[in-house]
Amino acid sequence: MTTLTQHTSTAPGKSIIEKLNVLTALALGVISAVVVWRLSLAFLPQDSEEARLFSREDKITLLSMCAWFLGFMTGIGALVGPFRWAMGKDLAHDENMFLAGENMGPKRYFRYTTDHKVVGIQYLFITILIFFLGGGLAMLIRTNLGTPEGGWLHAQAYNSIVGTHGILMIVGTIIMITGPFGNFIMPIMIGARDMAFPRLNALSFWLIVAAAVPLIWGQFIGGITTGWSAYNPLAGQAPLGMDGYIMYICIFAISTMVAGANITTTVVKMRAKGMTWNRTPIFIYGVVASVALALPAFPVFFLSQILSALDRALDTSFYNTAGGGSGWLYENLFWIMGHPEVYVILIPAVAALMEMAPVFTRRPLFSFNIAVLGIAGISGLSVLVWAHHMYISGWAPLLNAPFMLTTELISIPTGMLFLVLIGTLWRGRIWMTMPLMSIFALLWNFMIGGVTGIYLSDVPADAFLHGSMYVTAHFHYTLMGAGLTGALASLVYWFPKMTGRMFDKTLSWIAFWMVQIGFNVAFVGMFLVGLAGQPRRVESYAPTFNTANLVTTIGAYTIMIGMLVLLHGVISSARNGVKAPKNPWQAKTLEWTVDYPIPLENFDVLPVVTTDPYGYGKAKS
Amino acid sequence: MTDLMTPKTPQWWKKPDIKKTFILWIICTAVIGYVGVEFHVRNIVEPASENMSSIISLMRMFTWAAAPVAGLVTAMSLTVLTSKRHYGDNPPAEADHEIRNSPRTAAVWLVVSGLLCLFALIGGLVVLEQENEGVLNTQAIQVNVTGQQWLWNFDYANGARSEDLYLPVNKPVVFHITSVDVKHSFWVVQMGIKMDANPGYTTETAVTPNKIGVFDVRCAELCGLLHAYMQTKVHVVSQADYDAWLSAHAAMEAGA
Repeated sequence: MTTLTQHTSTAPGKSIIEKLNVLTALALGVISAVVVWRLSLAFLPQDSEEARLFSREDKITLLSMCAWFLGFMTGIGALVGPFRWAMGKDLAHDENMFLAGENMGPKRYFRYTTDHKVVGIQYLFITILIFFLGGGLAMLIRTNLGTPEGGWLHAQAYNSIVGTHGILMIVGTIIMITGPFGNFIMPIMIGARDMAFPRLNALSFWLIVAAAVPLIWGQFIGGITTGWSAYNPLAGQAPLGMDGYIMYICIFAISTMVAGANITTTVVKMRAKGMTWNRTPIFIYGVVASVALALPAFPVFFLSQILSALDRALDTSFYNTAGGGSGWLYENLFWIMGHPEVYVILIPAVAALMEMAPVFTRRPLFSFNIAVLGIAGISGLSVLVWAHHMYISGWAPLLNAPFMLTTELISIPTGMLFLVLIGTLWRGRIWMTMPLMSIFALLWNFMIGGVTGIYLSDVPADAFLHGSMYVTAHFHYTLMGAGLTGALASLVYWFPKMTGRMFDKTLSWIAFWMVQIGFNVAFVGMFLVGLAGQPRRVESYAPTFNTANLVTTIGAYTIMIGMLVLLHGVISSARNGVKAPKNPWQAKTLEWTVDYPIPLENFDVLPVVTTDPYGYGKAKS
Repeated sequence: MTDLMTPKTPQWWKKPDIKKTFILWIICTAVIGYVGVEFHVRNIVEPASENMSSIISLMRMFTWAAAPVAGLVTAMSLTVLTSKRHYGDNPPAEADHEIRNSPRTAAVWLVVSGLLCLFALIGGLVVLEQENEGVLNTQAIQVNVTGQQWLWNFDYANGARSEDLYLPVNKPVVFHITSVDVKHSFWVVQMGIKMDANPGYTTETAVTPNKIGVFDVRCAELCGLLHAYMQTKVHVVSQADYDAWLSAHAAMEAGA
C-alpha cells in the first residue's frame, strides 16, 4: 500500500497535494503580493486632508503583506484540508500518508509534511537560521558600540537593527526548545505515534516561514525603528517597515496558538498506556507549561498589533491620546504578553536540563513533585506580574506595590527549580558531558539573572535601573544565559536521536566554553555600564562608558565564534559523526527505545509504561 | 562500600561532603556578598540625592540577603564538581543511593525563600513610601518638564524656561512631566529618579538634590532617530545662585 501513493490513486484533488511545495508557495505568495500591490495602488482612494500622513501607503503595504501571507499558505497546501472538509469530505488515507512524507526522501522537508519528526527538523533548521541572523545583527550592534561616538551605522539603521535583533531573538528563543525538541522528541517520549493534529503541526511551522518574509520586507521600507517592544505612539510615526513587524507578529502569534493547542492536546490525550501524570517526564511538563502559557499570552499580542495596524492604516485612535486613546493601553497589552513570554522561553529550557540531570548523575530526579509545583507556580504567577515593566510609566503608581509583591513572589517557585537541579546533582555520579556542564552553567547564569531581577523588581531601585543597560544585561542572563544554555544542551543530548550520529564531543566542549565565557564577559560589562548610567538602545554614549562597552564587544565576538564552532559541529557531526547506538546515554525515557531511523509512526507496538523514567541508583543497578 | 558507610555515619552533618560544602558555603557567601556589593557600589554613579543613596543601600542589603542562597548553590556545585568525575563515552556506575525527595529540605528551602521574599518586599515598600510622600510636598519647587524629539524643556513657576535644568541644593523639587510627541523617559541619573513623559498626560516625581554640581539628564525610552542624543545637564547650585539665575532667566524670557 505504501508504495502506491505516487501513481495509482485517482482521487480528485490528490494531484494538487502532490504538486504543492515551498516553490509553489513562494511563487503564489509573490504573485499575490504583486497583484494586490498594483491593484491597491490603482484603486485605493487618496487620503483626505486631515488624515494621518502616509495612511494610504500603510494600507497598501498591509494589504500586499496579507496577500503574500494568503498566497504563500495556499501555495504550500495549508488550505487543501479545510477546503476538502468544507466540501464535506476528508483526505483519503493514501493522501494522508503522502502528506506524512512516507518514502519521500529529503523532499519532504520542503513540503507541508505532517510527520512530527520532519516538523521537528524543520523547526531546528529555522531556529538555527534565526539565531544566525539575530546573532549577526547583535554583532553589528556591538561593533557599532565599540566606539563611543557611534556613527558607523546610520542612527535609523541602528535603531532598526536593535529592533530586528530583539524580535528575531525573542521568536528564536520561544521556538528553540518547543519547536525542534517539543515536536521531534516529545511525542516519542510520551509513546505516541504522532501529534494529536498533524496538519496543524505543519501549519504552525509554515506560518513561521510565512511570517519571516514581512519582517525582511520591512527592512527595505524603513525598518523597525522602535525596538522590539514597538511602543506606541512611536510605532505610529515609524516608517512603513513597522507594517512588516505587525504582520510578522500577527502571523507568528497564530503559529504559537496553533502549536500550543496541538501540543497541549497531544500530551493530555495521547500519553502511552500507564503513563500517569506521576510517570510523565518533567520535560513534558516544561513543554506543556510553555505552550499553555503562550495560549493566553499570544492572542493579546495579536490584538495589540491589530490595533496598531488600525491606528496606522485607518486613522483610529486606540493609542493616540489626542484622539481619546492611550499609549498605556499598548504597554499593558504588550506586557500582558511580554512577561508570560519570558517564562515561555525559560521553563522548557530548565525542564530539559532537569530531564538530563538524572541521566548524567545516575540518580533519580530530586523532588519530582517540587519540580512540577515550581513549573506550575511560575506559570500561574507569571500572568500577574506584567506591570513591573511599567513601574515608572506613570500609568498607575498605586499598583506598583502589588505588582512588586507578585514579582517578588515568583522567586519562590523559581527557587524550587534551583532546589530540584542542585538536589539532583548532589551525591550523583558525575558524567562529564556538555549537557551536564550546562546544568552548572544554567545555575550560575540564572542565579545572576535572578538576583539582578530582585533589584529590578524593587520599585525604588527600578527608578534608577529601568531603561538602562543593566536591564538589557539582566534579561540576557535569564533568556540567553539560562534559556539558550538549556537549548544547546538539548541539541547535544537529543542529537543522536534526531540524526543517528553523536555530536562531536570536542566541538561541543569548545563551543560550550567559548559561549559561556564570552557570555559572562559580555554581560558583566553591560551590567557595569548600566550602573554607570548608560541608557538602552543608544547608538552613541559618553566616552566614560567606552572601556566596559569594549569588554562587552569582545565578549560578544567570543560568543559568536563559539556559536560558529557549534554550527560547524552540527553540520560535520550530522554528516560524518560517529554512528550513535540506540541509547547512547543509557537514559530511561521512551524516545531512547526506538531505533534510528525512526519509523514513520515511531512504534510498531505502543509501549506500556510501568514506572517513572528516573529509576536510577543503587537498587536498580 | 555501602555497608561501610551506613553504620558509621549516624549523623548527616558529619559526612565529609557536608563538611566540605559547609566550609565552601561560608567562603562563597562571603565572596559573593563582598564582590556583589563592591561591583554595584563602585560602579554605580556617585549619588546626588537621598533617593540615590537609598537605592545603593537597598542594593547592598539585597545582595547580602541573596548571598547565602547564591553561596549555597555555588558551594554545592563546587562540591559536586570536585567529587569523582567520570569521563568517557559510556555512563558511570549508578549512584549508591536512590533518594527521590527530602520533605525536610524542601520545607526549609521554601520557608527560607519565603522569608527572603518578605524581606525584599518590606525593604522596597519602606523606601517607596518615603518617595511617594515627596510628590505631595506643596512647599517644594515645582518644575514642568516637557519632552519632545529630541530635547527637554524646563518651565519654572515664574515663567522662566530653559533647556538645562537649574536647581537649588537641599530644596525639595517636584517635576510635572509630559511630552508633546512620543513617549520619553525623564532620567536624572545621579539623583536616582526616572519617570516617563507621556503625550497627553502629566506624571510626577520628586527629589531633593543634596550635592552641588553638574549632573546628567538622559532620555531612557527609545524615542526615535536621535534618542541617544536626547540628554542635557542639571546644575545644582546654591540658593543665592539659583535665585539670581531664575530671575535673570525669567526677565530674559519676558523680554523675548
